[in-house]
Amino acid sequence: MKILLSVLLILAAAAAQAQAHLDVQTTVHKQEVVVNEAGESETRLVPADVVVPGESVFYTITFTNVSDEPADNVVITNPIAADLMYVDGSAFGPGMEIEFSVDDGVTFAPAAELNVTEDGEVRKATAADFTHVRWVMQNDLAAGAQGTARFAAVLE
Amino acid sequence: METASLRFAPVFSWMRRASLLCICCVISVPAGAAGTAVGTPIQNTALVNYDVAGTPLTLQSNTTTITVAERINVTVAVQSAQVLVSPGDTAQALLFLVTNTGNGTETFQLSMDSVIAGDNFDPTPAVPSIYFDTDGSGDFNAGDVAYTPGLNDPDLAADESVSIFIVNDIPLAVANGDTGLSQLTATSATGSGAPGTVYANQGDGGVNAMLGATGGTALLTGEYLVSDVLVNVNKAQVVNDPFGGNEPIPGATLTYTITVSVASAGTATASTVQDAIPALTTFVPNSILLNGASISDATDGDAGEYDTTVVPTVVVRLGDLTQAMGPQSIEFQVIID
Repeated sequence: MKILLSVLLILAAAAAQAQAHLDVQTTVHKQEVVVNEAGESETRLVPADVVVPGESVFYTITFTNVSDEPADNVVITNPIAADLMYVDGSAFGPGMEIEFSVDDGVTFAPAAELNVTEDGEVRKATAADFTHVRWVMQNDLAAGAQGTARFAAVLE
Repeated sequence: METASLRFAPVFSWMRRASLLCICCVISVPAGAAGTAVGTPIQNTALVNYDVAGTPLTLQSNTTTITVAERINVTVAVQSAQVLVSPGDTAQALLFLVTNTGNGTETFQLSMDSVIAGDNFDPTPAVPSIYFDTDGSGDFNAGDVAYTPGLNDPDLAADESVSIFIVNDIPLAVANGDTGLSQLTATSATGSGAPGTVYANQGDGGVNAMLGATGGTALLTGEYLVSDVLVNVNKAQVVNDPFGGNEPIPGATLTYTITVSVASAGTATASTVQDAIPALTTFVPNSILLNGASISDATDGDAGEYDTTVVPTVVVRLGDLTQAMGPQSIEFQVIID
């Protein structure tokens, strides 16, 4: 009994320490058209606070291994809000395989392999069907290394 | 004895008002067509799963929140078909539907203009010239309340609509076939102009409002058509009794002749004569003649029939009539029971 208890305590301690392994930050931006000093219009990203229907928002998830041990099987999962529609082809993540879910996060697959059943007929899933997007790192995240995952969505 | 009942397509001066669609005063459709409601918070939290030394671990990112601001849009749709009028007619109404296609509540200012290029005459705006379809009948009548700018500007929620009449008089100096245009404009009270213009803090609940693709304003034109065709109808009756006389006794044959002619310029489109046979008589089968040619009793591809579905009625379709076609003569017979 005593040994079991100590093992449990050690595991708990290890888990508590492990929470400090990664740091994850999400930011959201939108596009703004400004006229620069030369009188030219340019588009830049600004932090998004207030958005109108029809505007696109850009989410960036930055994750850093702040520990001295490698992290493997790193998977970032992001649910797509009900009032947002994923912008086709906008998901981006160097060194990561990108997958989507159409069943509320139960199963994931590459976009081209996803199907939905509508009125008894099976058809290819489209961006409007996606409920989640996720990035699966293909390699370890070494100590001190950082990864970035991004996607865009339109407010309906 | 009895009168011919005549039913013509509404192109005649004495039957000109086309019936308008029956539309309720304010219509609501399921929310969402105009976009996510103003003030809705949209949150995002990423989840990270990873292993360290074989131990599976989970971490959540911070939660970002964006708030939905107001997008201002409006549409105007024409609800009445082309309205048929005669020279000098007064209080002729065109019906429109104004819809708030933005995602927040907006107040709209209305205006009308009857000096529009592309027509033959300018209708004369009535005073006042804009009304709400208060009783929701689709017909302009005494129950409809006048619009006064600044006093009763319609306030519409997202996706809500209101039915509006614009009312004009028709000048005397117009000819059959002339058209007159009149236009309704609806503009958001928050502002109008280039799409993308932002009105800081002027949306619902104090969020920003931004003009959508419509620029916060919409207008559309309705049309009046002068239609002044005069049609004359005559019905004559000849009685022949079985004894060679003209007494209306049982067994006597009544021969009816209905003559229809257009007495003015213009076309009486889709003219149809319907005459119920008198009570206590029996229709003589196959007695219907149009300009001397026999018409079968059955409802088939020819110009008429003896229709017994409701009240026994002789029906003859004369098509589009003009003055140049001359009088059209319809004959049929019944026997007194």
